[in-house]
Amino acid sequence: MPASADAIVAIDDLRKCFGNVEVLRGINLKVGKGEAVAIVGSSGSGKSTCLRCINRLEEPTTGTIRVGGQEVTGAKVDLNLLRQRIGMVFQGINLYPHMTAVGNVTLALRKVAGLGKAQAEQKARHHLDLVGLAHKADSYPAQLSGGQQQRVGIARAMALEPQVMLFDEPTSALDPELVSEVLNVMVRTKEMGMTMIVVTHEMHFARDVADRVVFIDHGAVLAEGTPEEILVSPQHQRIRDFVTRSRA
Amino acid sequence: MDQIARYFFDFSLMSAYWPDILRGFLITIEMSILTVLIGVPLGLAIAILRLYGFGPLNALIILYIDFFRSIPQLVLIVLTYFALPSFGLVLSPFTATVVALAIVLSAFSEEIFWAGINAVSKGQWEAGRSTGLGFNQTLAYIILPQVVRISIPPLTNRAIGISKGTTLGSVVAVPELLNVTSSIQSNVANPTALTAGALLFLALFLPFVRFTRWLERAYAHPRS
Repeated sequence: MPASADAIVAIDDLRKCFGNVEVLRGINLKVGKGEAVAIVGSSGSGKSTCLRCINRLEEPTTGTIRVGGQEVTGAKVDLNLLRQRIGMVFQGINLYPHMTAVGNVTLALRKVAGLGKAQAEQKARHHLDLVGLAHKADSYPAQLSGGQQQRVGIARAMALEPQVMLFDEPTSALDPELVSEVLNVMVRTKEMGMTMIVVTHEMHFARDVADRVVFIDHGAVLAEGTPEEILVSPQHQRIRDFVTRSRA
Repeated sequence: MDQIARYFFDFSLMSAYWPDILRGFLITIEMSILTVLIGVPLGLAIAILRLYGFGPLNALIILYIDFFRSIPQLVLIVLTYFALPSFGLVLSPFTATVVALAIVLSAFSEEIFWAGINAVSKGQWEAGRSTGLGFNQTLAYIILPQVVRISIPPLTNRAIGISKGTTLGSVVAVPELLNVTSSIQSNVANPTALTAGALLFLALFLPFVRFTRWLERAYAHPRS
């Protein structure tokens, strides 16, 4: 685990309650620059909630989160400025259906990053090219396959040049044959040096691409380590069961 | 057949009255357009206000909507014209009718916009906010364009239904189309005037319906 000084994301004793239910029970996690961390665990374990606390789509109940050394939690934080530096890709993809692919990418470039029309468009097309969709730039989401839509989703987040990318089960909503094109883009994203936190059910992605795997169980980190340590020869019975079930 | 022609289509009887009919027609057009131009944006504004979710204000908004959707338009027009002067607000028959109808339309269109806002998935908000767009920006660029598109068909129905309520202005003596034509009918003892009125109503609302169909297309985006 990297020292906290050079951690891009540092989560310290994060707790989250929905009513009386404590779904996160003291999460600690540090992610270093350029590191790709996979968060795995059963559904309902709190892994998505944990991810969504990082850009405060969920409000942490207690605990502190720092991104790029700056505290995310706290009343005086400029949320919009903060979120510009944290890219997010959703399970539900959530492209804007009334805008073309390039329109989806330019919106925040223009309204948040403040780029001019031509500059934003040029940048958007560049990022669509990076996900292999230059030729689909002027298509509407409904004219794209699920895999293509999610690649636009990645381009939309990457175009803002964030310090970290959060992926919330990015392939769970896709047909099986469309999963690999999205995973390939994610591999390339990592190769470009992007810091990534990926909540995923794709065990082979966690095993082959992630630098580190964090296993969350019942709202707490049960184990973390290299993919080898966690997924290939797990120490905990809980994880062994999970890995066996995931293979099936 | 002859009788029908004589009673409903004897346009020669109308020759002296065309200027009155046309004046009534113009007043109906003006009232309809004003009602829609005030009522629909007001409804949208109230829906947006409701979205900000100030507790006590929302209770007031819901009261407003439920009240004005329930009260008969005729009663509201009469109240606006005859009761408001007691509070020092004297409106012309024309203005009183437009104000009453616009308020009713605003209540209905608020509900339509509100349903539209709730129909847009929460993920759209999250996607916008996650890129650093503020609440208002997300609303303006991402949510409302989708809301407007899904709201146009039900809004059209409502707007037409309530614009036809301009005929109720006759109770406070607005010389609108139906008022004029039914007076003529009494004067010449022949309902051809009403036929003329009906044809003019068609002439008014058919282009309106066509216009909203065009709007629907303009806001459409490819679906598959």
